[in-house]
Amino acid sequence: MTHDSPPRPSGDAARIALIACAVAALGMLLFPLATLGRGFSADAVLLHVTGSVMNLTSNQQAPLPPTGTVLALAWATLGTLIVTLLGAWQRQRWYWMTGLLTFGLATAAVVVLGGALDDQSQRVLADTTLRPGAKRQLGNFYASGGMNLGLFLPALAGLIAAGAGLTARDWWWQTFNRMRSLLVPVAAIGLAILVGAVVVLIVQPSINQSATPLGLWGTWLAKSDLVYFVYSTLFAPVTALNPLLDSLKIATPLIFTGLSVAFAFRTGLFNIGAPGQLTMGAIAAMLVGVYGPPSLGYGLLALSVLAAGAGGALWGAIPGLLKARFGSSEVINTIMLNYIASSVLVFLIGSDSFPFLGREYNQPLKAEGSNPQSELLQNEAQLRPLLEVLNVGQNGQVALSVGLLVALAAFVIVRLLVRKNRTLIALVAAAVLGAATWRIGIPVSVTGSQLNGAFLIALLCAAGFGMLMWRTAAGYALRAVGLSPKAAEYGGISVAKNTILAMTIAGMFAGLAGTHYVNGGALDEYRLKQNMPVNVGFDGIAVALMGQSTPAGVVASSVLFGTIDTGAVSVTTKLAKVNSDIVTVLKALIVLFIAAGGFLSRRVTSPPPPALAAAADRHATPAAVEVNRPLTPQPNVAQASEDITREGNK
Amino acid sequence: MDGLIAQIFTTAFLATFIRSVVPLLLTALGGLFSERSGVVNIALEGLIIFGALAAAVSTHLLTPSLGTAAPWVGWLAGMLVGGLIAWIHALLSIKYRADQVISGTAINLLATGVPAVVLTALYGVSNESPKVEYALPLWGAGELRFSPPVFFAFLAVAVTWYVMYRTPYGLRLRATGEQPGAAASMGVNVRRMRYSAVILSGVLAGTAGAFLSIGNLDSYVRNISAGAGFIALAALIFGQWKPLGVLGATLLFGLLQALSIALGGQNLLPSTLVQALPYLITILALIFTGRSRAPKALGRPYDG
Repeated sequence: MTHDSPPRPSGDAARIALIACAVAALGMLLFPLATLGRGFSADAVLLHVTGSVMNLTSNQQAPLPPTGTVLALAWATLGTLIVTLLGAWQRQRWYWMTGLLTFGLATAAVVVLGGALDDQSQRVLADTTLRPGAKRQLGNFYASGGMNLGLFLPALAGLIAAGAGLTARDWWWQTFNRMRSLLVPVAAIGLAILVGAVVVLIVQPSINQSATPLGLWGTWLAKSDLVYFVYSTLFAPVTALNPLLDSLKIATPLIFTGLSVAFAFRTGLFNIGAPGQLTMGAIAAMLVGVYGPPSLGYGLLALSVLAAGAGGALWGAIPGLLKARFGSSEVINTIMLNYIASSVLVFLIGSDSFPFLGREYNQPLKAEGSNPQSELLQNEAQLRPLLEVLNVGQNGQVALSVGLLVALAAFVIVRLLVRKNRTLIALVAAAVLGAATWRIGIPVSVTGSQLNGAFLIALLCAAGFGMLMWRTAAGYALRAVGLSPKAAEYGGISVAKNTILAMTIAGMFAGLAGTHYVNGGALDEYRLKQNMPVNVGFDGIAVALMGQSTPAGVVASSVLFGTIDTGAVSVTTKLAKVNSDIVTVLKALIVLFIAAGGFLSRRVTSPPPPALAAAADRHATPAAVEVNRPLTPQPNVAQASEDITREGNK
Repeated sequence: MDGLIAQIFTTAFLATFIRSVVPLLLTALGGLFSERSGVVNIALEGLIIFGALAAAVSTHLLTPSLGTAAPWVGWLAGMLVGGLIAWIHALLSIKYRADQVISGTAINLLATGVPAVVLTALYGVSNESPKVEYALPLWGAGELRFSPPVFFAFLAVAVTWYVMYRTPYGLRLRATGEQPGAAASMGVNVRRMRYSAVILSGVLAGTAGAFLSIGNLDSYVRNISAGAGFIALAALIFGQWKPLGVLGATLLFGLLQALSIALGGQNLLPSTLVQALPYLITILALIFTGRSRAPKALGRPYDG
């Protein structure tokens, strides 16, 4: 190949586009295109690309919107998909255009469909003869309609094909190359969704509220619609403010535990102990929050938050110390400490009294009553809901202050503009501008949310993680130990010391999650309760893996997990056989597939450097040297432990 | 104090003791095979759960057609499913060179979600399976009556010892865990050895699960394993990766568990803290053993 020939997309990109388009074209024929309306129990009116309409709802008389334009657009989409497919097959340089066209057509179909459904909703709303109840029901019926797999897949495939086509251009290719580390998590999510879809297909019987029996084809369409329904419901919370705030609330403890696991990963350790560290942090926060001196005022809140961090840090330091000193694996030790922490929690607030050497003693930390919980936190130790803090509206109106956003934007912009002392100056500018704009509010309509100040602490922790890890000498030492303990040792970095430090800080992050539950009142009351969901500690593993052990990645994947956790609640209420446990399975599958590198070949995830590839291309020989350079330091627990054992026994 | 000791060390206590040892012993022996071949098996806990679920559900489903033979088939199903899930772990850590601890953790996470999905799909409840009509039969006399997996477990120690030290398979397995390169140069198929060992560990952990669900109880309940997989792993380390050492370590841990159950009934110590005792002892035990005598290639994917 010479450099004069027109630029072509890389072979891998073309292959990915080929698969995506083939799947989408098949999907358009196999799945329903759109849902024209949906009842409460996930029953639906389905439109197929052949033009047939299947009404499976109890709402048989409801008039349906016209579908002619949508169908025409769908057929056009199918046509461009096939053209793109041929383009990808031939590796023509122009198929990014057909890809974009496919995406455009599919989007147009969705927009037209949405417009038609909106018209129906308007008509229902204007209809004065309807009872209010029936009006609401019909309104929901049309509002829950929309595109289905048959339109979703071609839109997605169009984007993928366009992206693949653009890789022929140098700038785009380099941009995509920089994002290559996203490949494994994205592939893992895709595979997990696929497996989850199969589970839903097997487990959930098709829903048919109409009197007519379904044939084999009809059953298939109804079932595949349910798959789409499950996933669209899981990801739905991002579309409205209230569920979005709920998702952020659920994401908050995940950020903490995710950071905890990610921090340990970076130093070559595997922290399965986040549940125990969280529990200990929560206990410490409760002890200070309930029994601390009230004379401190809001200092008590600060003290309580610090106590949460310290409690977790202490619980994390134990396995770190044991590993550094005795070489016992932190994996087993953290698991054992989880069980011990949960016993301590139950002991402290589980029952009113306990026996000791034959005598009964009163358990002073448990609150009166039958519920296993502690006393209420003092007022000064409570983290207020963010909505309450940010609300600057008067007379019961909710208006969110823009101060926080302005401060954030000011910080970023000033930091980019200034050269010397930029962090300090940026902080000052952010504080001044934030305070100046605090009284300006945007009116919103929300019904209140338990999203609390712990979310901001979590974001601060993520920023602190980044600063510590990549901007300080201590962070350099920690990362060096994570990448190669032996080399670090020769370089004069103490592996033992850094192991203890890493586990302590990891424990601190997990312990701070306790502030969300205790100080933030995420368990509906400002107290420590036995039903604290310590399992978020394990979810932290999934979050850290998916976020590639980077702070921004951890925050993003926490928000994703928070979203599907929130969405799972509505899935549980609507479907009989699929419940929120499916989300647990999805998370586990994501971890499984990330562990397997998304089943992507190493050639895709970490290709040889461009210079090497070009040289190999010129000589028309396959690249002889396989370069396997891992993208992020994945923990190699066993190896690290052996090295540290040696160090520890010295 | 004498009265208390007499109260605790009864025949019933002996029975509890043996019943606490069996799941640990079976699982730890499974872990022994896997880790001696060089594959870390954190997944044991999840494998027990999958085995327990498969045994209980298949026994319940097969009872109408098979009658009293159903629990035996259930046991077999537990072994099979345990082996199958272990095969996934093997595939990830051998073929796809995944980090073995993460792959194992993923299977443990899977074990927290899949049972609930399966039970909801089959019975509409997510916490427990319906009681089976016939559990595995009890053999023995008086209070010392045990289900067959108990005898199987103690037999398995002898068999494991024999296989490990007196058969070519055992020799190759040990070589694979110590020096896979050297073993391969002597004509040992390292991958196949590792696959077989990991799947065997799944079969044994599945048996432990079957014992818990249809040998000890008569249904699957959430948290049925209660950390047995992890304690078994600790016992494996404490027992220095040797069959007889594992037997000794599991006897010790089993004794502690039985004691914590017996003491929980007494008014001696807070029962929640007593329940934490085995975990505390595990940590202490690990301090005194460390990782010194682990198979040298443990946790390293094998190239070649």
